[in-house]
Amino acid sequence: MRISGKLGMGTRLKAAALAASLLVLHLAILCAGFISPYDPAIQNRDFPYAPPTRLHFNDAAGFHLRPFVYAWTPAGESYQEDLAVAYPVRFFVRGDPYSFLGLFETNLHLFGVDDPQKIFVLGTDAFGRDVFSRVLWGGQISVAAGVVATAVTLLVGTLIGVIAGYFGGWADEALMGTSELFLALPWLYFLLGVRAFLPLHVSPARTFLLLTCVIGLISWARPARIVRGVVLSARTRNYVAAARGFGGSHLYILRRHILPEAFGVLLTQAALLIPRSIAAEAALSFFGLGVSEPAPSWGNMLGELRQYSVLISYGWLLAPAAALFVTSVMYSLLADALHSRLESR
Amino acid sequence: MRAGSAGEFRRSFGDGLVKYLARRVIRAIFLLIGVSALCFLFTEMAPGSFFDEMRANPQISPETIAGLRAQYGLDQPLAVRYGRWVKSALRADLGYSIAYNTPVAPLLWSRAKNTLLLALTAMILTWIVSVPVGLWAASWRGGWLDRGITVLSSLLIAVPEIVIAIALLASAVRWRLAPVGGMVSTSIESMSEWARLKDLAAHLELPVLILALCESAIIVRHVRASGLEVLNASYVRAARGLGITRVRLLFRHVLPAAANPAISLFGFSLGGLVSGSLLVEVICGWPGLGPLVLDATLSRDLYVVMGGIMFSALFMAGGNLVADILLMLCDPRIRTGGEHAN
Amino acid sequence: MKAIALLSLLVCLHVSVNAAGAPTVTAPAPENPGKNEELDHVAGVTGHYGGSLTIGQRAEPKTLNPVTESDSASREIIGRLNADLIEINRSTQKTEPALAKSWKTSSDGRTFTLQLRKGIHFSDGHPFDADDVVFSFTLYMDEAIDSPQRDLLMIDGKPMTVTKIDQYTVRFTLPQPYAAAERLFDGFPILPKHLLEKQYKEGKFAQTWTLNTPASQIAGLGPFRLKQYVPGQQIVLERNPYYWKADSANHRLPYLDVIVFVSVGSEDAQVMRFEAGETDVISRLNSENYNLLVKEEPRAGSQLADLGPSLEYNFLVFNLNDLSGKKLDAVARKQAWFRDLKFRQAVNAAVDREGIVHLVYGSRGTPLWGNVGPGNKYWVNQSLPHPKRSLETARQLLKSAGFSWNRSAQLIDKTGQTVDFTIVTSSSNAQRMKMATLLQDDLSHLGMQVHVVPLEFRAVIDRVFQSFDYDAAIMGLGGGDADPNPEMNVWMSNGTSHLWNLGEKQPATAWEREIDQLMQQQMVTLDYKKRKQMYDRVQLLIADNLPFIFLATPNILAGADARVGNFKPALLDPYTLWNADELYVRSSGMENAGVR
Repeated sequence: MRISGKLGMGTRLKAAALAASLLVLHLAILCAGFISPYDPAIQNRDFPYAPPTRLHFNDAAGFHLRPFVYAWTPAGESYQEDLAVAYPVRFFVRGDPYSFLGLFETNLHLFGVDDPQKIFVLGTDAFGRDVFSRVLWGGQISVAAGVVATAVTLLVGTLIGVIAGYFGGWADEALMGTSELFLALPWLYFLLGVRAFLPLHVSPARTFLLLTCVIGLISWARPARIVRGVVLSARTRNYVAAARGFGGSHLYILRRHILPEAFGVLLTQAALLIPRSIAAEAALSFFGLGVSEPAPSWGNMLGELRQYSVLISYGWLLAPAAALFVTSVMYSLLADALHSRLESR
Repeated sequence: MRAGSAGEFRRSFGDGLVKYLARRVIRAIFLLIGVSALCFLFTEMAPGSFFDEMRANPQISPETIAGLRAQYGLDQPLAVRYGRWVKSALRADLGYSIAYNTPVAPLLWSRAKNTLLLALTAMILTWIVSVPVGLWAASWRGGWLDRGITVLSSLLIAVPEIVIAIALLASAVRWRLAPVGGMVSTSIESMSEWARLKDLAAHLELPVLILALCESAIIVRHVRASGLEVLNASYVRAARGLGITRVRLLFRHVLPAAANPAISLFGFSLGGLVSGSLLVEVICGWPGLGPLVLDATLSRDLYVVMGGIMFSALFMAGGNLVADILLMLCDPRIRTGGEHAN
Repeated sequence: MKAIALLSLLVCLHVSVNAAGAPTVTAPAPENPGKNEELDHVAGVTGHYGGSLTIGQRAEPKTLNPVTESDSASREIIGRLNADLIEINRSTQKTEPALAKSWKTSSDGRTFTLQLRKGIHFSDGHPFDADDVVFSFTLYMDEAIDSPQRDLLMIDGKPMTVTKIDQYTVRFTLPQPYAAAERLFDGFPILPKHLLEKQYKEGKFAQTWTLNTPASQIAGLGPFRLKQYVPGQQIVLERNPYYWKADSANHRLPYLDVIVFVSVGSEDAQVMRFEAGETDVISRLNSENYNLLVKEEPRAGSQLADLGPSLEYNFLVFNLNDLSGKKLDAVARKQAWFRDLKFRQAVNAAVDREGIVHLVYGSRGTPLWGNVGPGNKYWVNQSLPHPKRSLETARQLLKSAGFSWNRSAQLIDKTGQTVDFTIVTSSSNAQRMKMATLLQDDLSHLGMQVHVVPLEFRAVIDRVFQSFDYDAAIMGLGGGDADPNPEMNVWMSNGTSHLWNLGEKQPATAWEREIDQLMQQQMVTLDYKKRKQMYDRVQLLIADNLPFIFLATPNILAGADARVGNFKPALLDPYTLWNADELYVRSSGMENAGVR
């Protein structure tokens, strides 16, 4: 019977590949302005719900190395390719201006087609906005918010869980009681109240802060309980008693013996919370606390999919869900790899 | 680190068990008080009130609305309303619903039954499937099952529940696989007992599937992760060396040790029985607490919301209590609130 | 191996559980028309008895009490259980005799004497007469009950009075002449005195006819009566054997045995159930769902109808309220822009209405430049100008109002302040949210910084009606009746829905004063042509002075299964069930068979 688990050469190669793909993903998102052909807010009102532009390599003249596209023309309820004119895809084109990472302005894009035609790699949404550009730009705020919110959640949750589990007694009762209170409250009303209290227009920076704090603080109860459970078990181990006997301070024991036990669950929770936090932003926009139009985020793009007719007719709008899925898988694999590294130490 | 038995548990706990339970009951009471007070407070914070929809109607005068508000006591100050609610709640009278004009408690109970049916079915299915699958994936780490589980669970976690629900419903519509929502067919009256049971089961399929899928993903992940940790322990390796079968190893030795996070999750599952299926109930039209309380929350039908929240708070306290007891059963040396390990 | 066995077991279970059985439907047979019964014979309607229809409702009904109801799901059901004195035929939009077989108006338009039908009964067999009418209206006007319907019976703040003349005659006296007063009676069901009087006298009326009331305690004059309520799931109505309408062959209506109302939870669920064949009639589809049903044609032969523009109007409103005394300085500053007519005209010229119709309503909508759209054929002002969208015109208007553009092409006012404001709208209304996004883009071409803030519905109401803490909002009104009178409160300067400037004691502008006078006049003028002239002028004043910037209206889209006969969807609520008594179920080959 084979039960695997040793880290060998093959696994190290896989870990490297994983790290590389994560890097590529994050780089792509950071360079959203460059990689995406258009500004995410630009509406093409003549092309709502246009399917992804098809890339062609062959035409009457034969095979071309440089791909080309045809224009979409409206035909009844959907679109047809207008085979009259072919538009070659050009690279390193000048297009809509954007600010690269907030550092400098430029208008260089990785690829594009000649004006006035457009290339919609992943189709368009209800307003004719390019989904590919929106997914890339949306990733900036979504991944950042997701990671930061998860960090906040886990920080608060671990702190509370550790204190409750390690010290036990009244601290445990009080903190776990608070967590139950937290879970039971009607957050809907609280969020409505928060929204009423804030000024109508919240700047993007404040929105980001608000998002991460709200999502981060609402979800600490679950990780706290799980960590507490693990800590309760860990503190009963013999070596902990021994360490106490040798005069080890609480802090030392926590750092050396208790916390490492919790890493496993923390990593698993992190891998779960990141996509959850990103998707939670979609729920927040119901209250007016999410990323507001026309700025894209995976959360508010997923909001469009809540309509049945849209979901089944325009499959390309699932792109942010696919992006979220890929991100989620990568973070899961990362968590897994980190876990096994910690285990083998 | 063997799992203890119930007898051992009681022996080692002794009289402390009664005291422990008493403390938990007191804690639950504090929880209810805190939740009810904060709920009233939050409601006040949120803008708007029940009769706002009428306010937007040009054919209804503000005098009528003011009269209605007075009728239902909405113009009283917060503290007065809270006091009155607490007094009647102690007499088991949870007030009236403004929308339905009927008492809250029977209204809630008529829906809670349906929610419990759905949630319990989903929970049983979830746990029966997730734990073995998680353990299996841990033991076949890197194999096709493990990879598949990682990908599938990532999919289920990343895609919001609502999208999964609509996707499954859309397939049900397309291929006429199962009834699309609701709890019973419209012609339930004319069916025999057996037919009614079948009808109910058919209607349960889709919502249970959605709930089970979404929750399993999380549980499988946790079970797998903690299973991996345990599988690397020396005594497990020793057992393998002695030639123990996989099933026996996983369920007799790995599971109890790896159960810790799963037990906390189980407590959450139990605690969330009445509140966790809200989204699915709304999408599938399942007549449970979810749609009722959601609608009441959005329309500010205060006493229904209060009743619903009290009910789910009780469940949550209960679920966590069960989880704590299970934790102690699993690892007899845990004694929450008792002696420290020194 | 074990997994495969488990899987196949589950599949078998699924298949056996889903094997359909054939249910049977029972309902009381219609009573034979009595000799002394004055039935209403409806011309041009045929069908045959039998069958049931299932209707999906988006929200759960809350009550069966017509006096206290305030939500549309309850109203849909209550309308099938009850009848009014005079009804508005939703197809022709004109009034028709109902429980009152005829009526006489006095020359000053203040007194209505109605002759009631003789010999007809409630659904429990109890006879109907003038006492029930007087009792019903007493309830509607009772101040202690605070019925939302009460205000409809108050004309200029004074109540109307009802007196019994004899057993089958009642007289209504209005405090002043009121145009189209007979339209008022549609929507006031007549209640059975013999069932409700006791509880009314005991002061417990608000708790009567809730959903839990046993069917034996509820009776009405509508085509159906309550059979059963299953909490949270469905309400089953069965034929009222005593219904007072019959077809031209003297077969008592309704044709249907049973109607079932199922709560499905959401608009999408409604569509899914209809597609799956679980419901038979669907109304108020949005364009995406409608196009889906047309394209997919999941049920061959389903009758899908696009009835043209509805009577609703969606609009952008700027906050022109008097904010003195409130600490809303930021908004007050911006009001300097909003109050400038040229500013509003510029916004009006920049709105891409065609874009809204195309992108929000999937081309199944109509652009609006006034509060009355083409769907309201009796009252629309045909000569209202419909200027095309022009950013150039908009820019000229802004320039002449003292605005200019700074170096980053942002619009700035005379003091150099950038023009920056927010639009709030309800987050639960997807169409209005889309309109807000489109408007934001349109106005950005003029250099305006517009922020869209979706808020929960009641939060929007709170800001627009209560705190006035908003810059601009996108809202919708209308859709009730075609007649201008229900809109009085919107256009009168002291009206409670005078959104742009609530709580005015006096009209703030000359044109508002003129509108006040015209609306008051048309309310007491009985001649339709004269009223139309006045209302035309009101529409022109509104379109010229732009208190609202009108956007668009959706089309009414409805559908029914192929087997539903006499399906006649209309532009007025209830769109598909207003003639529920005439609907019947076609079984193949039996269409003209007549009686069962």
